[in-house]
Amino acid sequence: MDQKTRDDLLLLFKSKLNEAMTFYLETCTRCGVCTEACHVYASMGQVKYIAAYRAEIIRRLYKKYFKARGKVWPTVGEAKELTEMAVEELFEAAYSCTGCRRCMVYCPFGIDTQMIMSIAKLLLIGANAEPEILTLLADTSITKGKSFELFKEGFFDGIKRLEAEVVQKWQMEAGETAITVDVPGADLLYVALAGAHSIIPAAAVFNAAGENWTLSFFEAVNFGAFVGDPTKTKLILDRIINEAKRLKVKEVCICECGTAFRVMKQLSGKQPFKVTSITEVHARYLREGRIKLDKTKLNGAATYHDPCQIARNGGVMDEPRYILRHLTDDFREMTPDPKYNWCCGGGGGLVALGEDTLDFRMKSARVKVDQVTATGAAVLTTACENCHTQLSNLNDHYKMGVKVEFLSSMVADALRR
Amino acid sequence: MQTLIYFILVPMVYIAFAVFFIGTVIRLIKIFRQPRHPSTLQIFPEKKPTWLWALHDTFLFPSVRRHKPVLWVFLLLFHVALLLLIIGHLELLGEFKIFQIIPHDVFLGQGYVGLILSLALLYFLFRRFVSPVRELSVPEDYYLLILLFLIVLFGSEMDWARRWYGYEEMTVDDYQTYLLSLLYLKPDLPEAVTDYGHSFMLVLHVFFANLFLLFFPFSQSMHSFLSLPMNKLRRG
Repeated sequence: MDQKTRDDLLLLFKSKLNEAMTFYLETCTRCGVCTEACHVYASMGQVKYIAAYRAEIIRRLYKKYFKARGKVWPTVGEAKELTEMAVEELFEAAYSCTGCRRCMVYCPFGIDTQMIMSIAKLLLIGANAEPEILTLLADTSITKGKSFELFKEGFFDGIKRLEAEVVQKWQMEAGETAITVDVPGADLLYVALAGAHSIIPAAAVFNAAGENWTLSFFEAVNFGAFVGDPTKTKLILDRIINEAKRLKVKEVCICECGTAFRVMKQLSGKQPFKVTSITEVHARYLREGRIKLDKTKLNGAATYHDPCQIARNGGVMDEPRYILRHLTDDFREMTPDPKYNWCCGGGGGLVALGEDTLDFRMKSARVKVDQVTATGAAVLTTACENCHTQLSNLNDHYKMGVKVEFLSSMVADALRR
Repeated sequence: MQTLIYFILVPMVYIAFAVFFIGTVIRLIKIFRQPRHPSTLQIFPEKKPTWLWALHDTFLFPSVRRHKPVLWVFLLLFHVALLLLIIGHLELLGEFKIFQIIPHDVFLGQGYVGLILSLALLYFLFRRFVSPVRELSVPEDYYLLILLFLIVLFGSEMDWARRWYGYEEMTVDDYQTYLLSLLYLKPDLPEAVTDYGHSFMLVLHVFFANLFLLFFPFSQSMHSFLSLPMNKLRRG
């Protein structure tokens, strides 16, 4: 690696150093309490998957270039030079970490490995070594934000075709529109994913609850966050913020997508609207009696997989359980404490990388399979697109024999008058 | 030899304390003057009041208790014993009424505090020889543990010699004279401190302590100051 490239990469590194990051990089005592925290280590048993080991890969570079020790006494902390080999190591560390932050629960100091891995991801972008597909997807989202007039017509046509299916789930009064788009002054802006499964059930429930809602032009998912590019993350996020402001909505409701929810909830800053997940909204409708559910629709015992970014990292834990109690009398917890729930193994962009990561995703999530199987549940519900895809892959691969379902679809299917 | 002993007991102590205090303060100022992280780093569910839970996490290490109970016992023993020894050293500098709530001779614990500390340090050291902590460890971790072990061992030996073997030549008064003279910037080395048979314990104790203080601001020992703010971030 030539000097110029290295300097550029170190500038990127430096841009990530704020107060919290410095805490995390300075403090680790390598006590090893995080050993059992990572599902990848628990499933595959290789030391390189322990949180402290992953973090140390970044920390070694930090010690080399951002601490005086790196010049005076590099060996004491095994400070390491940034080379092509180091970049490969960064890739391995960053793209085997799903950013679930389970290790943060274990660490006596509360070190955030996901945040440390964000340095690795940014360096990979700088070295043109990141998974290209993620950057490509992020760029597509940004382009769509810049010139959404071009996409508008196609979008409306697509939505029109879905309306009949929405009405099948919930019959509306004559003259009402099943899917409303671009309505200024609506109470709620629903940000879905590109896919009918993310729009139809949600629309049916909104209509059943008599919500004054409108559908966003944009898909919720933030590929900028997956690839770890702060600028792109912000641009993708801003599309939705601007739309919400333009329509003057009171609430932005994010579909079942963990990353989208956490990014919107925690990175959007102070805004005139509140940010909720669709799970929270459905629980609210139930609590207020705006929708009623039929318990006979769900057959067999059900369990719920807490998406890391929504539960442990986003705080939505009680709501899905409240909804499930309205759907079944046989709900089974995977862990007594949801913050200890195993990651499904699909986060951090791994599911978005599809077939490329399939083998690793299956091997690294064995503990998740055991956890689900132990509940004996027939229906495995979740509230995140990534988790749903990964859990479905696990279901096929390990022949778990469960039905993997979106919580929101189950709500829509169980609607009653 | 006398010159070397003098160097360790006087100028090196000043240098070590200067580096320790100035280094720690400057490093902390530098760290805390950096921009805050723009978004929350909280782990849910939230428990209120968050600052109280952050204190709880910082001083009682509940996550270690849950996942590594044996380590937790040693960690707690280590940190409590360390605190007691810091109090013991402060008492060499003068009388503190607050510490004498439970009346005791200076260096409380009758030698057992040092013993517990050395055993805890040995435990920390030996567990680093075992995988997977072995693979996680870097030389710094070993240096610090070995250094602390040597400090505690030689320091405690002085205490043990007096308490358990009736060795009376070097008394608490002697260290007090030496330490206060350093504090008042009029270095004075009593004969007992430099010339008697057991003075090598004091010299080695001070020497290793100097090394530790010199390294402290640049090492992971800074967790003593950073643990609370980090735990606060996690608690929200």
